Amino acid sequence: MSRTDAVTRILFEAFGAAEVRLFYLLGYAAIAVFCYGVYVQIRKYRRGAALKLEGSLWARFGDMLSSVLSHRTIDRRDRGAGGAHRLIFYGFMLLFAGTATITLEYDILEPLFGIRFWHGGFYLVFSLVLDVAGVALIAGLVYMMYRRGWMRLPKLDYARPDRVPGDPDFDRPQYRREDWAFLWLLLIIAGTGYVLEAARLVWLQGRADVWDTRWWSPVGALLAEGMRASGLGAQGGGLLRHGLWWFHGLIALILIALIPYTKVKHIFTSAASLMVRDRLAAQRLPRVPDSQAEAGAAKITDFNWKQLLNLDACTKCGRCHEACPARAVGAPLSPRDVILSLREFAQATLESGVVPAAAELDIHGKAPGQVAMETLWSCRTCMACVEICPVAVEHVPIIVQMRRKLVEDGAMDPLLTKTLQTIHKTGNSFGESKRKRGAWSKALPFPVKDARKEPVDVLWFVGDYASFDPRNQKVSQVFASLLHEAGVDFGILYDGESNAGNDVRRVGEEGLYEVLATANVTALSSVSFKSVVTTDPHSFNTIRNEYPDFGGKYEIQHYTTLLRQLFAERRLQVTHPLKYRVTFHDPCHLGRFNKGYDAPRELLALLGCELVEMGRCRANSFCCGAGGGRIWIPDPVGSEKPAQNRMKEAAAIPGLEVYVVSCPKDLTMFEDALKTTGNEGKFVVKELIELIREAIPARRAEAVPA
Amino acid sequence: MKILVAVKQVAALDEDFAIRDDGRDVDPDFLIRDLNEWDDFSLEEAVKIKEGHPEPVEVVVVSVGSDEVDESLRKCLAKGADRAIRVWDAAIEGSDSIAIARILAAVAKREAPQMLFAGVQSSDQSFASTGIATAAFLSWPHAAVVTSLTYSPGAESAVFRRELEGGILHEVEIQCPAVLTIQLGINTPRYASLRSIKQAAAKPIEVLSLADVSLGAADVGEAGSLSRVRRMYVPDKGRAQLIQGDAAQQAARLAEIIREFKGAAA
Repeated sequence: MSRTDAVTRILFEAFGAAEVRLFYLLGYAAIAVFCYGVYVQIRKYRRGAALKLEGSLWARFGDMLSSVLSHRTIDRRDRGAGGAHRLIFYGFMLLFAGTATITLEYDILEPLFGIRFWHGGFYLVFSLVLDVAGVALIAGLVYMMYRRGWMRLPKLDYARPDRVPGDPDFDRPQYRREDWAFLWLLLIIAGTGYVLEAARLVWLQGRADVWDTRWWSPVGALLAEGMRASGLGAQGGGLLRHGLWWFHGLIALILIALIPYTKVKHIFTSAASLMVRDRLAAQRLPRVPDSQAEAGAAKITDFNWKQLLNLDACTKCGRCHEACPARAVGAPLSPRDVILSLREFAQATLESGVVPAAAELDIHGKAPGQVAMETLWSCRTCMACVEICPVAVEHVPIIVQMRRKLVEDGAMDPLLTKTLQTIHKTGNSFGESKRKRGAWSKALPFPVKDARKEPVDVLWFVGDYASFDPRNQKVSQVFASLLHEAGVDFGILYDGESNAGNDVRRVGEEGLYEVLATANVTALSSVSFKSVVTTDPHSFNTIRNEYPDFGGKYEIQHYTTLLRQLFAERRLQVTHPLKYRVTFHDPCHLGRFNKGYDAPRELLALLGCELVEMGRCRANSFCCGAGGGRIWIPDPVGSEKPAQNRMKEAAAIPGLEVYVVSCPKDLTMFEDALKTTGNEGKFVVKELIELIREAIPARRAEAVPA
Repeated sequence: MKILVAVKQVAALDEDFAIRDDGRDVDPDFLIRDLNEWDDFSLEEAVKIKEGHPEPVEVVVVSVGSDEVDESLRKCLAKGADRAIRVWDAAIEGSDSIAIARILAAVAKREAPQMLFAGVQSSDQSFASTGIATAAFLSWPHAAVVTSLTYSPGAESAVFRRELEGGILHEVEIQCPAVLTIQLGINTPRYASLRSIKQAAAKPIEVLSLADVSLGAADVGEAGSLSRVRRMYVPDKGRAQLIQGDAAQQAARLAEIIREFKGAAA
């Protein structure tokens, strides 16, 4: 054996046979405890409802791997945490790989096949890599400790907006203790690893194959020099090494054993959650199979296995808590706490040997682990939580499925009850006669085609607000004029159109949604058109993403892309450039839901407007508060509304002239909030369509009468 | 134990409407049909009593009308009624509230409930007489405009409250079986989700003929009625006018109008 060949990892040197056996025993015990924990977790998930995943598993795996390796989801809106987690992740993975390959050689390849690779140059390079990995791990952990201990981030505060101080699950100090225990455990493992390495060097300083190659483990070597300088001899080093070896080894085994029982399990659950993610989780809500007796989630076992896995994937990072518009205005909802509550509930009920009786699985209520109806009704289904979650927790379908149960029980605001009955009766939320749906078009100097009577190129699905709300009718008239002037062959369905159902579905009235979607799909299928356009992002979303489940597959665009195209084709041209200083509000259903961020901004640029972005824009846009049917539920008196919160943000832009929206509900919500926040007269709220009209003044004959 | 709830499918006017050719009703093309608002409350009261009672209580809804009433009956079934009865015969067309009450009383005799609820009135005709007339045909005790009720199915009597003029409450004990007409606001009617309405399609709607309730054609329709609609019409509008001009002109015009009216009265 050559000299370099002898260089290898010192493993059980100077250990008695009994000691080695004891270590193996403990190792197997730790693995057994780990495996049992994994079994309990998998059994828990399997107690959820069935779900068949779409798409290929390999594509899902690749997707997950790229998210995990790039840390792209963890970096978002928190580079510090992303960077530190990256250090911990790669440090830990490398160290784990190091240990795993040693096991591979020592326990499998060498005894069975006589293959050895852990020696010589390979060993030295690997030992350098692991030393660096350890530094990365420690650096990441120290930053995380600083972050938890000193940065006082509101998103890491576990106090719940849906509980009051004194409630048993108000701020859950056990979570804080677990966080710190986890950080310290990892830090101690990493730290003792280095000290152990140094002690081993001091102990074996007489052996050239160890001592001469010590600088391949720079941190350990440095520590060893320090130990020697402070008078530690080879014998003392040997004793220290022996003690620390056991200490380090035992803590590492404890960590392994604890993985399935503690937050450490996120290394598996979060990765698995990313792998089973649904890219349209909030955009396309799940149907209720006809075979299912109950419409919504009443019991914890009504969630499917993927949703139960979602609950365990949460790492309490608080990004959804931070992004939630309901939480921001003090409503009793934090998406994080909905998930954590249900997780605690699932742990308490589904991890035992037998599943408790149905009565004990009720997730609705105010007891620990249950979710209150006030919490569920606070949700705007704006998707801010789903969008930012780094581990693909899908809060919105969970909340909507729980609301379906509330709707079945009639546990909702009386005004919402009334609105749903109205929609059922008249097909619109305004309680207007069906016949009046197209009445706004009568004020136009040209007829708007009835698509039911003649074929059109573009079928305009108008939607409730743009059809019946007087303020939005004006916008509809302007949009009709623009299409008319650009020579677009378009028509509407008049009273053949019903409420698109997007918000009805998000309320949780799935039966009514089915009625509306079916009615609209039937109406759309019986007329002739090439593509659909709408000014309403809510209608846009459900027609684009949900109608295909009801047999209605259409090419549909939001008006912003159609107008952009008309400008590109020079069928519309700016004649009076606007010099306004504007900001743009991304509607949830256009932006986050359907990634329509660019067209409205390009249109604003075409108009000559100077766009100043708000802090919360694009994917992080802040909901106006109207989504998820909240437009039909009165906000509590005296508390801030999301739209008011948003107006304050816009008002902070110096010299702002126009707050531009591109959604009928936004126009209603923000014009109201402009007044109630005392910003009237400082700037105005306008539909993008109105700005375009201003930049292309109508020829007199085609002007819409005021 | 059984509670019978009499319900009606009412008609509401659409945006524009026309009077029927015979001038005695609105053209049905312009009507939107729905369950009478009062009946929502009386049904809810019955279902609440049922749910709060330890022993089984059957809630039966009954209505008089053609098969288009089934939609409203299904809504009642979705909200918790156990079964529904609909009485129809072409001869029933043209019945007034008294004739309808005669039919309801006949159904009550057949079903023999311990309690019969009806709404105070219907939102389309507003006679407020059907429930009370039913009690008269049955010779049962009755009370109208009940705003709160304490009743245990099977009990000899029930206690209810009514609101009188000047904010006075009237607390009354009544012998059962009785007919009570229920006022709005006595409870909060539940929401019938579309899914529950769909599922209620599986519950039975029993259709009875006149013969089934031992009545003849002479008991119903115009023959069995005590009143008859002569005509239905929209009164002439235009009594208000906007006075324009400056203050002096407006005052002069106003004085002129006052003189005109004085003259007409004189």
